[in-house]
Amino acid sequence: MIDRALNLQNELSYNVDRRGQKMKKLAMILLAASCSAFAETSTDGIFVSGFGTIGAARSDTDKAQFVRSNQAEGVADTAKIGLDSNLGLQASYEFNDVVSVTTQVLTRKSTSPSYTTELTLAFVQVKIDDELNLRVGRMGLPTFLISDYQNVGYANTLMRPPIEMYSQTPMETANGVDFNYQHAFDSWNFTAQGLAGVSRGKLFLPRSGVTEDYRAPTVALALGAQVGSVTLRVSRVEAKLSSDDNVPINDIVTALNSSGFVQLGNDITLITGKKIAFTAVGLTGKWHNIVVQSEYGQRRNKDQSSVPDTDAWYAMVGYRLGNVLPYYSHADFKGAGSSITLSSNFPTSGALSSSVRGVLTSAAQSSDTLGVRWDFARSVALKVQIDRIKPTSKSGSLIYGPAAGLKDTVTVVGATLDFVF
Amino acid sequence: MNKLFRAMIPIVFAAATSLTAAETVVIVSQRNPVRRMLPLQAAQFFLGQSALLTAIDQAENSPIRADFYLKAADMDAGQIKAIWAKLVFTGKARPPKQYASSAEVKRAVAADPKAIGYIEKSDVDDTVKVILTLH
Repeated sequence: MIDRALNLQNELSYNVDRRGQKMKKLAMILLAASCSAFAETSTDGIFVSGFGTIGAARSDTDKAQFVRSNQAEGVADTAKIGLDSNLGLQASYEFNDVVSVTTQVLTRKSTSPSYTTELTLAFVQVKIDDELNLRVGRMGLPTFLISDYQNVGYANTLMRPPIEMYSQTPMETANGVDFNYQHAFDSWNFTAQGLAGVSRGKLFLPRSGVTEDYRAPTVALALGAQVGSVTLRVSRVEAKLSSDDNVPINDIVTALNSSGFVQLGNDITLITGKKIAFTAVGLTGKWHNIVVQSEYGQRRNKDQSSVPDTDAWYAMVGYRLGNVLPYYSHADFKGAGSSITLSSNFPTSGALSSSVRGVLTSAAQSSDTLGVRWDFARSVALKVQIDRIKPTSKSGSLIYGPAAGLKDTVTVVGATLDFVF
Repeated sequence: MNKLFRAMIPIVFAAATSLTAAETVVIVSQRNPVRRMLPLQAAQFFLGQSALLTAIDQAENSPIRADFYLKAADMDAGQIKAIWAKLVFTGKARPPKQYASSAEVKRAVAADPKAIGYIEKSDVDDTVKVILTLH
């Protein structure tokens, strides 16, 4: 297992920058130090563990690329390993029963066509009592049901987080403070997580092929109720999203200003922060051999903003046959209008009109997914999955599609090995 | 009389078999005030859902561990591992400490009034208190 992880790490790190190389060395030292199973390596309070995925996928078209949320490079009609492969390494140190520190790095292909390594967790945790923990540092945002473990393939039934839901936000982590409260009552367990911080990151803009840097002061609240293996969860994230270098939007704003539509330019710009909210309700669990996971989530602007409002949902059902879990899922996302209403004196045709109307319109698609997870060995799962994607507006979640938008159904096949150690 | 005896043999034999078959019991320290617990309640401590008691686990490959999770939570080793992958890699919890044998689990539970563990019924002695028998 360790050898395989090291091999993957070598492979993944082929293209990473010098910082990534240093990270790799550190990771290998940590990994070499851990010669035991997942999360059990404990030497004087040090815990080292990791997760990863090795995968290959391809689609049946060369007209567009299928991606995960916020990826700069996807797959077309030749198989690639970059879509799904990743490696996460985590180290924790417990100073005592109260204070601990945790860091996690994740190597994957994201907003750059090459593999990069990001710091995904870095926090100090203080245990207040048996039910309450406080953390300060970088934490995962609990925006949607599986948001904060969406990169851990082994922890999920589906091969990928449903892109219809998870591409509604690029924000995965935030620097700040959070609390985690847990209260058991009879056979029930209630959880609450509240977070306040600032999320920073990159968003890939497929239409222009560039990335923007965003910054978003964020508050989040997630409430969960669990009985046995069934979890019901509601969450709300509010952010004030700003970006100085969203080139396509900035170009439109410049053109609007010079055409006299200054107010519309102010509404569309992202240079001044715009309030945006994500609300979701999700359910996951099993009943005898039946496994379910379903979620509804929406994105709504609280200010006038060029980002379209969206609605998304998915429902997955699986049936466990020993170590083998076949599953089916349907997912859908579509526009729910815009926070901007164009005035009657705004032109209905012309280049400026079509770029403004294009920006305010959401992409939309639905997809059907058929797959199987096979837990064939300890800490390793093999998944095979077929996705049928039906884009209905702006090529859906596919990138580099034709200018008029792809309307063809696209089939994607993939196989992954998910592991933890 | 002879016939009755013969008829009873399988019944007696079956009863004896069920007595000798390993039964898994959930234990706490004698100093822990808890008297009884439901299987789902006990499972909470082993699945990161509650830290009010400290779970003490058996070795990963042990048959008793498989038996415990199957009877208390209706889950196999892979499902338990996936649940812990979720909790560990969000930085929210760490899996229970593992001990190599029932004797070590018993010793650790006896020493800590907040500990909860599980062992074979035949290994129980008066250093620990049985709060649940799993069927």
